[in-house]
Amino acid sequence: MSHLHIPDGILPLALWAPGLALALAVLFATARASLGSGPRQLALQSALGGMMLALMALPVPITAFDYCMTLAGPVGVLLGSAAGYEVSFVVTLMLALLGQGGFTVVGLNAFVLGLGAMVARPLYERTVPALGPARAMALATALSQLLSSACWVGILLLSVRLTPGLAGEHVIAESLLRAWQRVGAAVVLPLLLVAVAVESFLGYGLARFLARVRPDLLPAPARDRAGTPAGPASGPGPVEPASTA
Amino acid sequence: MINTFAQIDHLASAGRSVWHRASALPKLLLAAVYVGLAVGTPSWGVLLVLLATVLGLCVSARVPRQLALAAASAPLLFSAIFVLAHARTDWVQPLVLIARPMVASLTAVWLVSSTPYPDLFAPISRVLPRGVGDSLFLTYRALFALIARVERMGSALRLRGALARPMRERFPVLGEAVGTVVLSGFERSHRLYQAMHLRGHSGRICGCRHYLELTREDFWVVVLALWAVAASLVLGHWRGA
Repeated sequence: MSHLHIPDGILPLALWAPGLALALAVLFATARASLGSGPRQLALQSALGGMMLALMALPVPITAFDYCMTLAGPVGVLLGSAAGYEVSFVVTLMLALLGQGGFTVVGLNAFVLGLGAMVARPLYERTVPALGPARAMALATALSQLLSSACWVGILLLSVRLTPGLAGEHVIAESLLRAWQRVGAAVVLPLLLVAVAVESFLGYGLARFLARVRPDLLPAPARDRAGTPAGPASGPGPVEPASTA
Repeated sequence: MINTFAQIDHLASAGRSVWHRASALPKLLLAAVYVGLAVGTPSWGVLLVLLATVLGLCVSARVPRQLALAAASAPLLFSAIFVLAHARTDWVQPLVLIARPMVASLTAVWLVSSTPYPDLFAPISRVLPRGVGDSLFLTYRALFALIARVERMGSALRLRGALARPMRERFPVLGEAVGTVVLSGFERSHRLYQAMHLRGHSGRICGCRHYLELTREDFWVVVLALWAVAASLVLGHWRGA
């Protein structure tokens, strides 16, 4: 659901303008936080951003529907909160330039995608000692997807509340509520759960593979890192070229 | 969407229309004016003029019909949610809600189809944090190599029957396949960084200022901006029944 980008001209100014300002403020804050990470981290971010865009372009058949994966959860786990949000912003901006999602709502779209990426790493770090990398990644991905979807629905509801009463606010709210009750519960919720399951399984497979082949790319558990004086703060460890065959 | 990136990139670099010869900054400003007017106006008359103009822009820039259609139809699903909410009131508000995102999406596609990506990203990256601005360039460069790889991976998975497995097995296998591409991306980025370092990377990827070099064709960009502003002043009160 979080892949359904909000277009221009639908949401009220009172929602998208503060959203854009807040998203830019968070972007500058995360850029400050990742100042010391160096150009190598930048290259890794870009590779994962390209991966997000490439995977969004590849539809996965689920029964009669095609679902586009976002990879926000795994990207957040692999890069960390600050870099994960930056990647989400860049991906959203590029999608807006392609006519997918709007320019004025870049901030809100980046929030929807970036919120999942931002919470994924802390969730992973807290659960990996008990669950192991694959299951912790799956759980972090599922929760980050749910959070993104909740954020998307929250924006939708807030926009109804803030829309000027051109046709009468109560009419809009009533119609949306009725539409949600009839269609939403029957179609959207099951599809959302399927989408979350797909992303989680994907994250599971990805982490299982990385744990086997390149465990240094997966972040260490929170308590391990606390005991390590020079551990990576916001990104994966040093990347040395290695054969993946 | 896989072909969309390649089509747009090719058209932006190889196109020969008047819009391809115009410089990037005026086109960016024109796009901002069109999106701003589309989002701000409550008049369907203004939106109709903007829609017709931006369709004309796409035709004159030789944007492929499928691309324009994809851009125009992309926001429809989201718009439908709000159109549904206005269905019982009048016909003007639903039309406005459909036309606004269409104008914005078509403007975006016209802009990226007529402007090579270094010229387009350079002014944007000036107002973003340095790391994010550079990330725009690098992500775009990484995208094409990854798309080709992801496409081949998708074909291989289909041919080997991975997508015919039960649902519980299908997606972990997909995840492992994505893992190979992620690793390849990491290694590619690492090599890219080393190449950048050897070439004397100074901390800003594109210092180019081509986007500021004005051309004679910018006159037409200014004319279209004035046309849109005039239309919004004349038709701004036209809100229908």
